[in-house]
Amino acid sequence: MKYNPVTNKIIAKLVKIVDSKNVLTDKEKIEAYSHDEMPREQYAHMPEAVVTPETAEEIAEIVKLANKELIPVTPRGAGSGLSGGAIPVFGGIVISVEKMNKILEIDYENMVMVLEPGVVTNDVNELIAERNLFYAGYPMSLETCFIGGNVAENAGGGKAIKYGVTGRYILGLEIVTPAGEIIQLGGKLVKDVVGYNIKQLIVGSEGTLGIVTKVIVKLSPLPKYKVDLLVLFKDVKSAISMVPQILTKTGITPTSIEFMDKLSVQTSCRYLNEHLPYQKAGAMLLIEVDGNREDHVSDDAETIGELCLKNGAIEVYVADNYTTQERIWSVRRNIAEAFKVVSPHQSLEDIVVPIAYIPDLMPELALISKKYDIQIPCYGHAGDGNLHATLVKNPRSTMKEWYEIEAKSLKELYESARELGGTISGEHGIGSKRKDFMEIAVSKNELDLMRRIKKAFDPNDIMNPGKIFDME
Amino acid sequence: MNIIILIKQVPETSNVKMDEETGTMIRDGVESIINPLDLYAIEVGIQLKEKFGGKITVITLGPPGAEKALKEAISMGCDDGILISGREFKGSDTWATSYALAEAIKKIENYDLILAGERATDGDTGQVGPGVASFLNLALATYISKIVEVSDKNIIAERLVEDGYEILRVPLPALLTVVKEISFPRLPTLRGKQKAKKTEIPVWSTENIELDKSKLGLKGSPTRVVKIGHPRVTRNGTIVKATDDESISETIGRLLKFIQEKELIQRGH
Repeated sequence: MKYNPVTNKIIAKLVKIVDSKNVLTDKEKIEAYSHDEMPREQYAHMPEAVVTPETAEEIAEIVKLANKELIPVTPRGAGSGLSGGAIPVFGGIVISVEKMNKILEIDYENMVMVLEPGVVTNDVNELIAERNLFYAGYPMSLETCFIGGNVAENAGGGKAIKYGVTGRYILGLEIVTPAGEIIQLGGKLVKDVVGYNIKQLIVGSEGTLGIVTKVIVKLSPLPKYKVDLLVLFKDVKSAISMVPQILTKTGITPTSIEFMDKLSVQTSCRYLNEHLPYQKAGAMLLIEVDGNREDHVSDDAETIGELCLKNGAIEVYVADNYTTQERIWSVRRNIAEAFKVVSPHQSLEDIVVPIAYIPDLMPELALISKKYDIQIPCYGHAGDGNLHATLVKNPRSTMKEWYEIEAKSLKELYESARELGGTISGEHGIGSKRKDFMEIAVSKNELDLMRRIKKAFDPNDIMNPGKIFDME
Repeated sequence: MNIIILIKQVPETSNVKMDEETGTMIRDGVESIINPLDLYAIEVGIQLKEKFGGKITVITLGPPGAEKALKEAISMGCDDGILISGREFKGSDTWATSYALAEAIKKIENYDLILAGERATDGDTGQVGPGVASFLNLALATYISKIVEVSDKNIIAERLVEDGYEILRVPLPALLTVVKEISFPRLPTLRGKQKAKKTEIPVWSTENIELDKSKLGLKGSPTRVVKIGHPRVTRNGTIVKATDDESISETIGRLLKFIQEKELIQRGH
């Protein structure tokens, strides 16, 4: 092992930097920092110490110490990740930004907000809703995740077709580099072409190039009206082939088009005791349109609904108020949770393909499912080509068999996405989970370039090592 | 079977704020929805219509914007809506509201059944349904959890009471208020929405209904909001904690003892 352990001497130094109340070493307490939302027994790794600093300066001191002593540092947000980005795979020090949770500034004049990385992204939207503003980059796991984690993962979510993903709304960042310098990137500017766009390099770098300590986000006017359609189709094919049609033929950019196959809908409905007529549908689409004129939004919804009915939809439900919207979105939002009840052993994936090729991906999933005798419920952000195909362990397999099947079927799943011009992760990131599959997704030259960039930022490889790719 | 369904438009409850001075709710800027408990009445009404035929008329008393709630009910499968609205109704309590609704219903001939939700999520009184039945001198059954049988003259229904169910035979026409257990409300369809959009909702007021104006509005309402208070939670929770692996069984023992002492587990009869 090239890294040094966190000795009592190091702990004493950490205590000096952040005070003893912000240094955790108790096994019971630091266990919570050993995993994210992925299955623990498969991916968790214990840190040696956890620190909860309150300022960028404290983080800079900790990182300087770690860099000097060759101790791995793992930045951590809310721990709601799905790729192992926040798991300390080499032990060392976890730097949790949970105490840096202040909203530093709401600048209505410039339509920006300055946030500490531990701010819960959903809270931002609750706070500014009464000023008819919103932060459009928020992902699906909205109730728990931190803005810092969103930046690190370049989180996407359900509204990307219309609003894009996190990176689009990040105007400025403050980071602590692996050498312990505090650097400001960007600012409250919509346009900024000075030098390399390092800010956007940090976005989605999964904590391997530095720790985000301040985020300047762009705010957008909150659309006044939204209408959701829940469309029932007889099978997966007719539902999925609707997606490119809606996007290319209606002249409307929906806020979201979410796809749910039969297994996903059933599992979630049973979990929620929801009595939608899901038995008669082989697949569903959940489509949302928004805007500032009630009649326009309602017309858009009608246009899309009619197109679906013309193309064989069994039924189109319309939700234009809080009650019905909550009802249908909660089916979509609870799928992952519902499957955890059914089987805790699963691999939640987020492959992405160009939208026109989504229909071609579905038979590939069916093949893998049959070949390995596993269920692959599929749901997700069909409107942007990002699908949560989820490999679920067959209860008959042993854990050892499952791990083998998982590795093989993941490889085939990723290769299928790649063959269709897609890639292996649209929003969850590579982390520790998918790094062995990087060669499926990127060329050797690109990977080498990434390694050289990493080396330039972090010559000692102390910042979130073991993520995205290995250095050699 | 012709059915009348009484509904109310309420503020979406996760956003309700109270005006401490007047003791009423601040409705500005809050989304209005059909009282969630009325959705069960709508659903069971539509199911009866699907089975026995007939027509469903939804009625509400409220501001002009309450038309939206009626249209939502129509998009779920109801046929017509009537909005009772006008300045003279503003501030009506449950008594005045029941009076106005009852007088309006008198104008509708030929109905067999009136359905209402158990109560509204804003006022939380559950009085308007029974009030209307009383003004119309109709048979009333509240907290209905199941419709067992419908004949020309009677309806047999299950009524949810604290320690079980009552089976009631109610002569028609009758008014039933229903609870959640009775159904799972359906969602409005696109075709339903399109139909609702085209449906004209007549607005009735003292001009169309024979009403004694002195019995309407805030002035005609016997209810006075004297004071708004917040109830204090007086319960105390106890957390039974195990500090380590060894103390787990001892802790479970304490928990069991507590359950026994409080007689929380009943033997089957």
